[in-house]
Amino acid sequence: MTATVTTASADIASPDRRRFLGTTGGLTLAFSLGAAGLAASRAEAGTASAAVNAWLSIGADESITLAVGATEMGQGSSSSLGQVLAEDLMVSWQRVNVVQGPPTLVAPAPVGAAIATVGSGVVRGNFWRLRDAAAIARETLVQAAMNRVGDADRSHYAVADGVIRHLSSGAALTYGAVAADAAFLKPPSSAPLVPDEQLRVIGQSLPRQDIPAKVDGSAVYGLDVRVPGMLFAAIRHCPTFGGTLAATPSAPAGALAVVPVSVAAGTGRGAERAGNVNAVAVVAGTTWDAMRLARGLSLQWNLPPAAASWNSAQFVADAQALMTQATPYAAGAANPPGTLYTVEASTADPATALSQPGTRIMEASYTLPYVSHACLEVLNCTVDYTPGVRCEVWAPSQTARNALAMVCGLTGLAESQVVFHTTLLGGGLGRKAEVDFIAQAVQVAMVVKRPVQLVWSREEDYTHDQYRPMAVVKVRAGLDTGNRVVGWQYRNVSPSILAQRGSVLGPKGDSQGYEASHALPYDLGARRVEWVSHPSPIPVGFWRSVGASINTFAVESMVDELARTAGLDSYEFRRARLTDPRWLAVLEAAATLGGWRSALASGRARGIAIGAAFNSVVATVVEVSGTSATSFKIQRVSLAIDCTLVVNPANVEAQLTGGVVHGINAALYGQQTFAAGVAQRRNFNTNRMIRIGAMPQVAVTIVQRNAPLDRSVPIGGVGELGVPTLAPALANAVARLTGTRVRTLPFFAA
Amino acid sequence: MPTYSLNVNGQARSVTVSSSGMPLLWVLRDVLNLTGTKYGCGITACGACTVMIDGEPKKTCDMDVSSAVGKAVVTIEGLSKDRSHPVQQAWIQHQVPQCGFCQPGMIMKAACALKAGHHGKEIASECDNLCVCGTYARVRNAVAGL
Repeated sequence: MTATVTTASADIASPDRRRFLGTTGGLTLAFSLGAAGLAASRAEAGTASAAVNAWLSIGADESITLAVGATEMGQGSSSSLGQVLAEDLMVSWQRVNVVQGPPTLVAPAPVGAAIATVGSGVVRGNFWRLRDAAAIARETLVQAAMNRVGDADRSHYAVADGVIRHLSSGAALTYGAVAADAAFLKPPSSAPLVPDEQLRVIGQSLPRQDIPAKVDGSAVYGLDVRVPGMLFAAIRHCPTFGGTLAATPSAPAGALAVVPVSVAAGTGRGAERAGNVNAVAVVAGTTWDAMRLARGLSLQWNLPPAAASWNSAQFVADAQALMTQATPYAAGAANPPGTLYTVEASTADPATALSQPGTRIMEASYTLPYVSHACLEVLNCTVDYTPGVRCEVWAPSQTARNALAMVCGLTGLAESQVVFHTTLLGGGLGRKAEVDFIAQAVQVAMVVKRPVQLVWSREEDYTHDQYRPMAVVKVRAGLDTGNRVVGWQYRNVSPSILAQRGSVLGPKGDSQGYEASHALPYDLGARRVEWVSHPSPIPVGFWRSVGASINTFAVESMVDELARTAGLDSYEFRRARLTDPRWLAVLEAAATLGGWRSALASGRARGIAIGAAFNSVVATVVEVSGTSATSFKIQRVSLAIDCTLVVNPANVEAQLTGGVVHGINAALYGQQTFAAGVAQRRNFNTNRMIRIGAMPQVAVTIVQRNAPLDRSVPIGGVGELGVPTLAPALANAVARLTGTRVRTLPFFAA
Repeated sequence: MPTYSLNVNGQARSVTVSSSGMPLLWVLRDVLNLTGTKYGCGITACGACTVMIDGEPKKTCDMDVSSAVGKAVVTIEGLSKDRSHPVQQAWIQHQVPQCGFCQPGMIMKAACALKAGHHGKEIASECDNLCVCGTYARVRNAVAGL
């Protein structure tokens, strides 16, 4: 395996590269963090090819710039990438400047049709390729130095801190001094990496690059983009999904325009249909004027007739009906929503195993709601459009490449006529992997022909989200007289994220829906895991940890119910049914960190849960105090992770702690409810989240497995991993404390 | 269109707005281009719009611009010239922000509490703004030394 260096260039040929890397002159490597094979050629030094997704530039002025396509939304991956690069480039980490590259640098990601910063994937997907590229850049610079010195024996040179030293003569050349020469060399196809025992940077808790600008107001999020002469537009959607505007209203006094906005091709989810005019945008001189005028508009909509029956209770009833009435998948058939897919089935039939005399059967349904993303930065996008000539876009996007294609499609402009800036994101959480809001802003800009920033009010953001799917999961399992689990029947009924994006589901159904429900390493006896597509009119989408947030709750709640039935300790019950060394190590680490074996103060209890997602294994111990399932406090959360390797331990701790809070918010309060098709939770006052006063003590331990580093071991994700085990660990703790088993989330539904 | 004279970050600023009911938040963001102060909810629920007014923390998303006349308004941009304010220093030292969007409001809350002579846990309890990323533990660590 080598890095895929597609171009090395002295002249920064493309305007895009000049914009992102400056014009310092020097070595520029354009390389792929996503494909195999080497194609080094100066002739390709034009615009970045589709395979290229990062540029590394070493300037004659000693600057080191890494332009990446991945988005920074708070996860700190931009800093971690710089940290990885510094290792094999052999420079101090402070010298690496990581900048946001253009959308053409976004690596295709294997998640449905999305091309995005998703799946806890930035660091783990790029670690080795970035190291290879850094080493190749270093050795290209060394080659240039060797040519200069006139001694071609590599063993006569040492490299440290960006300086190449010829040992016998003492001649010392900085990277900057040879960068221009290096640009004319063919980079080697591979280069040795820094040996594990000499690593200085990888594995260190270094400060993040993006933090200083986030403490003085200078960080620019999408909402902070300011362009001379710009206007502001506020969106107002049809109250239900699937509606269309009955009549275009005239612009009210104070408004510059009212623009009907339609569902762009490829963005219609659930009941939304491409081409429907489902919103209007009111344009004014300030955001506030646009918002208040939009709020005051009297609008008439044609609602879908079925919308009257779109109620949360009805959605759950529909799911419960599908639990027994779904039609099995048939290859080659249409398999419409309501189809039953078999995710996993053992040769032995669990129904038979569970019917054996003496088997104690546990059967339970777990119900999870739709959940909003509620990023603190509402959806927004700024567009400056010159008809037929140029379009400049600023957007907080997790999927700039998809957005770029959308802009080209709507305007008819070529990619070269579109300048797309990915701003910082005030949270992404999966919502900003959609491009609906970007398409809306382009439509408005094409009408007003002035720079315009489209903003969703908080109420629009809550009521027109693409929600974490709801789910009803039924689990039936049994214990024999020796407390062995002899059978496991698992069926999840849930709207399909991928089907709403046009995917044709295969025999196992939606991979996003069934993730973390199958291939469980527990000894569960005969097993059958099924997933049923729920025909929801509600748009659903990717939400931090996606299906793992649903299935881990159901699986780990049932495992605990079995432990309870067996009269066994929750930790010991799990341990005795696991052989996977990673799961065992993580379970043990969490139990130790959470003081599982230590005495509890009176009125307290602990719960434990374990799960896996994105190649990582995570376990959580939650300690609660209180008197009932409606009156308790989360005192302490202890989390252990095996993510196979760690670039920045402090950032892993931050991400997991943040994930714990995300999990707490969802477990306690997170839900979007619907009445006659209208979303009911419209702002932070009706969709609560914890504040600092309710923040429990959180401890994180990383189960280290990265000595030696091994390319053949898939690297685990971190950003989403704090979420899935929180809710079941909490429910298990509350069940131990109060005897009440909470099977419907959120805990506090009112 | 009414015009108001404001004192923002120590400077006299004259602003002309569409109506006297325009909240200070939007005057700061859209008229003065001081975008460090954030819109989060518009209903004073999240605190992202918090600034310091005559030393007190105020949510600006429903505060009429007229009520800021004659008062000293300090936004995140005016807290220091060089990130040298002790709260900013503590935020960097303890690596508090993740996405960072709530942090200007959170920092202004902490700065007001510090100015009021509060310390440590007292400041932490006053930093009751919403942070969706969940940076509360690091906020606590950062204010512990203040």
